[in-house]
Amino acid sequence: MERSEPDLASDDAMDSFLEKFRSQPYSGGFHENQWEEEFEKVPLFMKEAPSEIDPKENPDLACLQSIIFDEERSPEEQAKTYKDEGNDYFKEKDYKKAVISYTEGLKKKCADTDLNAVLYTNRAAAQYYLGNFRSALNDVTAARKLKPCHLKAIVRGALCHLELKHFAEAVNWCDEGLQIDAKEKKLLEVRAKADKLKRTEQRDVRKAKVKEKKEQNQIEALLQAVKARNIRLSQAACEDEDLASEGLAELFLDGLSSENPYGARLSLDDQGRLSWPVLFLYPEYAQSDFISAFHEDSRFIDHLMVMFGEIPSWDLEQKYCPNDLEVYFEDEDRAELYRVPPKSSLLQVLQHPRYFIKALTPTFLVCVGSSPFWKNYLRERKVHQIK
Amino acid sequence: MREAGSGVGVWEAEAGSPGGPGPGPEVAAAKLLPFLAPGARADLQAVAARHVLALTGSGPGRALLAGQVALLRSLAELASGRDAALALVNLAADPGLHEQLLAADPGLPARLLGRTLDPQWPWAEEAAAALANLSREPAPCATLMAVLEAAEPGTPGLEQLVHALCTPGYNARAPLHYLGPLLSNLSQRPAARAFLLDPDRCVVQRLLPLTEYPDSSVRRGGVVGTLRNCCFEHRHHQWLLGPEVDILPFLLLPLAGPEDFSEEEMERLPVDLQYLPPDKQREPDADIRKMLIEAIMLLTATAPGRQQIRDQGAYLILRELHRWEPQPDVRATCEKLIQVLIGDEPESGMENLMEVQVPEDVEQRLQQVDRQEQEQLERERQELAPELWGKRAAPT
Repeated sequence: MERSEPDLASDDAMDSFLEKFRSQPYSGGFHENQWEEEFEKVPLFMKEAPSEIDPKENPDLACLQSIIFDEERSPEEQAKTYKDEGNDYFKEKDYKKAVISYTEGLKKKCADTDLNAVLYTNRAAAQYYLGNFRSALNDVTAARKLKPCHLKAIVRGALCHLELKHFAEAVNWCDEGLQIDAKEKKLLEVRAKADKLKRTEQRDVRKAKVKEKKEQNQIEALLQAVKARNIRLSQAACEDEDLASEGLAELFLDGLSSENPYGARLSLDDQGRLSWPVLFLYPEYAQSDFISAFHEDSRFIDHLMVMFGEIPSWDLEQKYCPNDLEVYFEDEDRAELYRVPPKSSLLQVLQHPRYFIKALTPTFLVCVGSSPFWKNYLRERKVHQIK
Repeated sequence: MREAGSGVGVWEAEAGSPGGPGPGPEVAAAKLLPFLAPGARADLQAVAARHVLALTGSGPGRALLAGQVALLRSLAELASGRDAALALVNLAADPGLHEQLLAADPGLPARLLGRTLDPQWPWAEEAAAALANLSREPAPCATLMAVLEAAEPGTPGLEQLVHALCTPGYNARAPLHYLGPLLSNLSQRPAARAFLLDPDRCVVQRLLPLTEYPDSSVRRGGVVGTLRNCCFEHRHHQWLLGPEVDILPFLLLPLAGPEDFSEEEMERLPVDLQYLPPDKQREPDADIRKMLIEAIMLLTATAPGRQQIRDQGAYLILRELHRWEPQPDVRATCEKLIQVLIGDEPESGMENLMEVQVPEDVEQRLQQVDRQEQEQLERERQELAPELWGKRAAPT
């Protein structure tokens, strides 16, 4: 900078300096209309760096970048630059970019083990916040190989195991870390948390086991009750004895889960008596009624009295009165019908040698005996009476 | 309840054939010395060691050996056989000899400690047992504590002791169960308790799972004894009972059986005691059961502690324990604890039962009641009386 004249600050010198601009426009300034955009392009005043730097568009920035990332700098320097870049992205919570930066740093394979350990650990942290816990674990493991005493790697590893619900592993990592620094607060905190979660998980396993055992016992009891009564369940494709008993258990599990649209199921009461979900079908009007718990000792007539105490809406001829109703079950194999005396109990009917229960839901046909529809229906089928 | 020195029972190794000392015992002992030197022939070393071990089988033999400084040093260094290590265990088991031993070889505790915590030393268990025996008495215990406290990080200290105790496979050739009773003896000293209960570290927490350690009642007993001694520190009760340590479930778990509680009762229990499998066994050793109950009793000293223990459903576990408990004295201890849990809260001024001043006449009456109780227990033990609950008058 040349030595300015002693009186540059004097009015005269200033005046003549400014005079120049009357004749010569100043070039190189910002354009009036787009000065803000151009302002942003000057590297010093940039608020945000462009993700891609195009040397034509932004030569200054490209210049700076090539200085920083110059291939001629040592790997250590380059790696350190990438580390710093990654850290900056990390601070802005741009974890994806942080991972990329750290990866670039690691690619340099510089000789500084400490730096590489930090790169791995930091990348692990970024992966952690991205939810990639296994990748994070790989990274901290690599970091620990380089620097076994790197506490930050151990803390991060413990946190990853915690997220992955490997509670015992989390505790182990904390213990290893505490051997290096017995008072590390974060490790103490994570250890206590992981230990408690581990013990809670163990409790949950025990609880599930108890529940499963209980359910199995219940199913076993039901199965025994059904067997003891010589009740036959309809089996689709089971032939020999062994398969049959296994098939029964399977059928039970199926039947007890969701086949029944009403969610009701076979149950055993405190006196050891069964109650069945039962379906009454009214073929005349294609209607049905579902009884969720038909006690095996209760009689058909008792249920019919209640159910037909009021005339159902579909009973157009108003003829479905309890005493006029006849109950039948169908032997599907032989396509034959059996008439059930209404005063018999459910158990008596279920024990009939030709009664096979499908899907653990006994089904019965009900109609008015004297109706023409029913007379017609029966004409086409063989009918048996049961006592 | 006084701060009793616990330490598990004296562990005396089987001495070999008790050969007679022969001409002038001191002479004979001195003659053994060269054979025990590190450079001596291995087979001669073994024979000499066996002789020494035989000597330790008798009182006079031990007394004789205790004064032989060089001999003691060799014994501790010897790697050639278990007999040498066992000889030290026997010597240490004799409380009358401790003063002599330490006078003869002041470096003995430090050396034994080094051996105990050396992961490669094949006789580390014996070294630990010797230390456990030594530390039963206050003076050697203090010496050992001083050695431990003076340790630099990296050299054998309390931290490494706890680490060795809590790390399975620390020493591939020695299970180190006797670190349990050793720690238990050390925990009689406030400095040890301060380390164990340091809230900025994770020490006592690592001991807790060992209350269920199946393979050794020696280890279990040592850990439980340590925990019980720690429970004397009532300033730490809140922390011990709180989530950072959560000591109560670990004290209750060995006392719990495969009880089938109702769902509602189950949910009141700590997580570790819920839904225990049908093959859950209670702690088989009656002494350990008693120490567990005593530890919980200590934790009931403060009102908040009592409340916390009540809230965690301890009563349920103790009720079932009382039904099952075959030993009269353990049952009595259990009863006392149940009384505290279900009894009324004491009047104001008595919130911390450990700090209450007992007036002299009350003290005498209590002692008399204690004596009568003891007599009753004796009677019971002899007749194996059935269920006592309900027959004894409640204490006033």
